Amino acid sequence: MTLSPLTRRILAGLTGLVLLVMYAPLLVVVANSFNADPSMTWPPDDFTTEWWTRAFHSQGARDAVLTSVQVAIASTAVALVLGVLIAFALQRFDFFGKNTVNLLVILPIALPGIVTGIALNNAFRGILNVQLGIATVIVAHATFCIVTVFNNVIARLRRMGGNLEEASADLGAGVWTTFRLVTFPQLRSALLAGGLLAFALSFDEIIVTTFTAGPGTTTLPIWILNNLFRPNQAPVVAVVAVVLIVISIVPIWIAQRIAGDAETVR
Amino acid sequence: MSQPGPTPAIRLVGLEKHFGDVRAVDGVDLEIADGEFFSMLGPSGSGKTTVLRLVAGFEQPTSGSVVLGGTDVTGTAPFERDVNTVFQDYALFPHMSVLENVAYGLRVRGVGKRDRTARAREALATVRLEHVADRRPAQLSGGQRQRIALARAIVVRPKVLLLDEPLGALDLKLREQMQVELKGLQRELGITFVFVTHDQEEALTLSDRIAVFHEGRIVQLGTPQEIYESPQDEYVASFVGTSNLFAPEESRAVLGRDGRFALRPEKISLSDGDVPPGALSARGVVAETIYLGTGRRVVVDLETGPRLVVLEPSTVPTAVERGDKVVVAWRPDDLVALS
Repeated sequence: MTLSPLTRRILAGLTGLVLLVMYAPLLVVVANSFNADPSMTWPPDDFTTEWWTRAFHSQGARDAVLTSVQVAIASTAVALVLGVLIAFALQRFDFFGKNTVNLLVILPIALPGIVTGIALNNAFRGILNVQLGIATVIVAHATFCIVTVFNNVIARLRRMGGNLEEASADLGAGVWTTFRLVTFPQLRSALLAGGLLAFALSFDEIIVTTFTAGPGTTTLPIWILNNLFRPNQAPVVAVVAVVLIVISIVPIWIAQRIAGDAETVR
Repeated sequence: MSQPGPTPAIRLVGLEKHFGDVRAVDGVDLEIADGEFFSMLGPSGSGKTTVLRLVAGFEQPTSGSVVLGGTDVTGTAPFERDVNTVFQDYALFPHMSVLENVAYGLRVRGVGKRDRTARAREALATVRLEHVADRRPAQLSGGQRQRIALARAIVVRPKVLLLDEPLGALDLKLREQMQVELKGLQRELGITFVFVTHDQEEALTLSDRIAVFHEGRIVQLGTPQEIYESPQDEYVASFVGTSNLFAPEESRAVLGRDGRFALRPEKISLSDGDVPPGALSARGVVAETIYLGTGRRVVVDLETGPRLVVLEPSTVPTAVERGDKVVVAWRPDDLVALS
């Protein structure tokens, strides 16, 4: 397709503008984490690393990071196991209600977080009578983390077909040997991509977390929300936000590269 | 073919496979001798691939049994059967090198690394591809992948090799070259080849015997010559090669006989009036001539109605032209009565 120079310049300008709107605020946060003025006046007139030191010594922030990592790892693990099992069931077998199950598995990613949050809150406290805490957050996060694993794995299984496994069996490999030597290596990058996305989703989730974490459980996003408007805490929050940006970007970037590589290998 | 002595490599008894209401395989009885190059020929959907999958163990029959080398293997898994398959799309493992692919069958059987590498290299040498051992399947051409799939299947020295349209994805030139290689390989290894194809020419060139499939059944079983020279019915006559078919009313009009008949185009000669003694003849007008390189295909509309295709070798110098009045002639023996 050929575009006139003018059109091309307008489109480039628009793209630049959109990217600027998206990323300038993030850069402001990064700058503010080094802003010497605690009330974060703009532009910053002095540079300091004091907030970074304070943030690293803040017990609340450190506990919150730890909690978030625990939740993200646990819910990703649950999602990996269940997501793979469901993907195999839906891809390899025919059964009554297959399409419905498929829809039900994917739905949680589309449901508004607030609905999931309220529903789980009611279910946990009203019906199941369990204490809200880190375990309930993990379960809640797993409901939507499954989707990313499931989507990645089922797409890979579809592309793979059953032929490789048949070839393996034909050459004398039993069911488990085939899974270990053929099926799993084919799925590995899909699992990594799905798992990393799940981790990132869980790590910065706030709405569902608000409704399913008990008073004693503070994940990082919740800690940030609680501290944002406290006097003198704003710069520390900015530091934590920068850390969070880095932690969220890296897995997405890796997941994308893996998915991209897998694409080109095929 | 059915000597009573040696145990057949494969024996299929009353084999049936239904998918829902569809009878993909509808009662197949067959014996394939040890060391035979056997082809299953038929259009897609005729059940030939399903029979192959039943022999390999990927599918279990609805009824009937599969006997390999005298042992009933019905109900066993693919990895318990001493047969190997070359898949239509090759099914090479994309995450392994060519050498690892070929060594796979030995690896899962617990053959030590050194031994299996040596044997895999040997198999690669058989298909003349030692130089690509370290590459990935994705880096190979279609013809190379095809030969790797072959090497992977023969490295475990199966008694029977099943080939599911293995040449289907290759272009004509490569296909002809691979046909020669396959035939040579089979003679060299002395193992039974069961070859599934929809290409009648391929089946005729390669096979010791051919089974022609139609709607889940074997409609004719015989040597290539038997299949080509004496097709049993209209289906075989038109599927294998080209035939001029005479329906009962046409038989009466042209031949003065009752029944259905087939006549191969190359068995008919053209002339402007001289009919060889003892030959049958009919008058007609040339409707079309097509130059083929090796000869000419001449379409003749007979005065009595039907249209005949005649294959004239290029050694016949005088070319007829569209609109010429001609006499077509053939020996009575070349007429094949169909059931």
